Amino acid sequence: MTDATTELKVTAASDIEVDRDALDRSIHEFAGPNGDYYVNAFHKIHDATSAVPNTFNKWAAALGPFWSASRAIWGMFWTFLILEIIAWVQIGRGAWGNPGADMAERAERQQARANELLERAAAATEQGDIDRFTKLAENIQRAADSSFEKAAAAQSESLGIMLTGLVMLLVFKLVQGLYADRIYEKQYSRWRIDPDSTESGRSTRNTVLGAVLIAAIGPLIVYKFTVNASLAMLDAFPEKEVSALFLGEDGGTLFSSLASWMEAKIDAAALAGGDVFDGIVAGVRSVLDALTIALIGSPWPVVMLVICVTAWRAAGPRVAIFTAASLAYIALLGYWDVAMETVALVGAAVLLCVVIGIPLGIWFGKSARAYRAAEPVLDLMQTLPAFVYLIPIIAFFGTGNPPGILATIIFGMPPVIRLTALGMRGVPDSIKEAAVAFGASKWQLLKDVEIPLALPSIMTGVNQTILMCLSMVVIISLIGGGGLGKEILEALQYAAKGPGLLGGFAILFCAMVIDRIVQGAFRREDEKI
Amino acid sequence: MDEPVVKLENVWKIFGARAEEAMAAVRSEGIGKPEVLERFNCVVGVQGATFEVPRGEIFCIMGLSGSGKSTLVRHVNRLIEPTAGKIEIMGQDVSKISESELRRIRAQQIGMVFQHMALMPHRSVRDNVAYPLEIRKVSKSKRWAVSDHALGLVDLTGYEDRLPKELSGGMQQRVGIARALASDPEILLMDEPFSALDPLIRLQLQDQFKALVAQLKKTTLFITHDLDEAIRIGHRIAIMKDGVIVQIGTPEDIVMNPADDYVREFVQGISKLKLVKAHSIMEPLASYSGPTEGAPRADEGADLDQLIDLAVNTELPVIITDGGSDVGVVTKPRLLRGIQGGKND
Repeated sequence: MTDATTELKVTAASDIEVDRDALDRSIHEFAGPNGDYYVNAFHKIHDATSAVPNTFNKWAAALGPFWSASRAIWGMFWTFLILEIIAWVQIGRGAWGNPGADMAERAERQQARANELLERAAAATEQGDIDRFTKLAENIQRAADSSFEKAAAAQSESLGIMLTGLVMLLVFKLVQGLYADRIYEKQYSRWRIDPDSTESGRSTRNTVLGAVLIAAIGPLIVYKFTVNASLAMLDAFPEKEVSALFLGEDGGTLFSSLASWMEAKIDAAALAGGDVFDGIVAGVRSVLDALTIALIGSPWPVVMLVICVTAWRAAGPRVAIFTAASLAYIALLGYWDVAMETVALVGAAVLLCVVIGIPLGIWFGKSARAYRAAEPVLDLMQTLPAFVYLIPIIAFFGTGNPPGILATIIFGMPPVIRLTALGMRGVPDSIKEAAVAFGASKWQLLKDVEIPLALPSIMTGVNQTILMCLSMVVIISLIGGGGLGKEILEALQYAAKGPGLLGGFAILFCAMVIDRIVQGAFRREDEKI
Repeated sequence: MDEPVVKLENVWKIFGARAEEAMAAVRSEGIGKPEVLERFNCVVGVQGATFEVPRGEIFCIMGLSGSGKSTLVRHVNRLIEPTAGKIEIMGQDVSKISESELRRIRAQQIGMVFQHMALMPHRSVRDNVAYPLEIRKVSKSKRWAVSDHALGLVDLTGYEDRLPKELSGGMQQRVGIARALASDPEILLMDEPFSALDPLIRLQLQDQFKALVAQLKKTTLFITHDLDEAIRIGHRIAIMKDGVIVQIGTPEDIVMNPADDYVREFVQGISKLKLVKAHSIMEPLASYSGPTEGAPRADEGADLDQLIDLAVNTELPVIITDGGSDVGVVTKPRLLRGIQGGKND
């Protein structure tokens, strides 16, 4: 193995000669056309010891973004395309634009107004009016004069603007020339690591794409910003004309026809599935009614006592005192019934979220495919602003508390689903395997191993869901949901600051009490494991 | 009663989407592991494993990580389905039984211990041990009694109501062993049970385990990557490499007659003193011509350690007896070669 040629030699780092052949071949392969130039340039960059650029790429300087596009350096392309366009706009404004035009126009207007006021002063009969009009006319005349001056000054600056533009352009070109090879060398380094997804060489596709982008963007922008009277076509999208193209002259707009089509579809669907939707509403209502009876139907001292004791048992004496104080605030200000309605609304929504969400989460935790399919839907449920789905909810379920609960469920359910699935996936395989090895059936595995081990995660999910549901309380009052949200909405409509703030505090206290109690209960649960 | 408790016949396991095709190709063309990976993108886990384990034997399966030993042992309780081959437990073909019957066998006949204990963190030690019984719907009073007894076997009385996380690693693994013993199974599957423990605890547990199994007469499949452990514990050892069982034999067999270079390399570092017995290094009395007058005597089952003790005090060889009659002699050169591992010159 160890003959003379392969014998290992240890050499001091300072004695090592740079072997350029392999590097040159690789640079050639990367650069494609004009490889020799880049071999040379990259060598200079590799040999450099300071950050000051020591190469100048005259093509990059002359062609600017077109060069970077042809070499597929898109970051550089966009940066310098924008910078060069700014320079060109300055040049255009100086060369053929009318920089003082808007100011001159304003001056004309002010002059006209001043003249008009003077005429009125002349026509006036009473001394007071004459004085007043004259005074006004003088003021406006002064403003007009200053506007004229500014306009003239702007006019005279046009040469300066053009020169600034030219200097900017020159600087940008210079920077591109100086840094082009350095940036290209960075791309080369990336390409060495990941040759498949890093573009290299010079392709026709990139060159053409760059040319088209420059041709499409540059002239239009320069035109729009340098010529004062620009084309209407460029200012606003010609939506009417395009609609006419599709629908004929009298077909209305695309928007109106699409909107009315959707409306018809939604109406038809609501009518067709009427029984189903009514059934859902009835189901939700029965849950809500049960909770409402428990909270409002029971005598208030009983409910108060139960809540305070729950707070104490679940989260300790401090939370219990806070709870008692909050309840006192709510009761003393006459919010008791509406507050309990809010709690019933949130409670019903959370209950339904948990009942539907946990089984779904278990399923998604076990089936990666189902989770992949559901994930976009869950994302949508959380990101879609609530106002967007309030409208279809009204269409299908009407208004009032049950549809409000449905809207709350849409927003509140994703966390419990997600965290249940997460918890299920986090159960160690070894423990599951052990249970199976001892003869556990699928159901026993779920009941004895998976759910208990996923429980902390599921609890976090339930907690998140409760908070999300609370945050919907005000929004659902828009579709007829009752409770404290309704109070706030009314206060908002009349800009009633006092009632609004008091109601707001009532909601805040409700939310804090529920959050404290739930968190306290879960913390105790967590400590056990 | 003499039929083997566990019997594997030409068991193959190929992982991957095209395992069936790959198996067919293996059968018809006899291609090996690399070709299967290249052509079918399938990984061969176990190749044609065949062995029998009689009642009461501790059968060690030794191999490095990735050699397929854990995969192989999971075929016995069908945690992994074989691609081909036959597996019998007490004469019953496990691949033919129904799902519910399989669960019954897992719960009653097979106890398993895992490398990472795999105890349920939310259940007390007692409830962990009782879990196999709970699956079989044994009453609570009965399963608590059984689990307390099993915990007693592993010296954990007094820890019944603790949670697993309150126990040390060695104690947790003893809970794992108690759980495997709780349903009084015929077969124990030990998947590297002591690998994650520190050396002293490991030695203790090995001895404790060996004594316990001898007492309870459990048929045991014991997986390990440590040849020392296999030799300490196993009645017989199977050595696996790349999914193939390279050699099966008693510890002495393996150490004295390694089947190939791979096994030889393993065996090199093993001390032979307690392993090699007199009968395997002695020469017949008939062919020995030197003086034997006054030479010390030892039984043919005596190990090298004992022979050395006898040999240091005399210039003469040691005479080996079998049931009182002299059968052979161990000369100094033979003794020294025996210590080296039985190289014959």
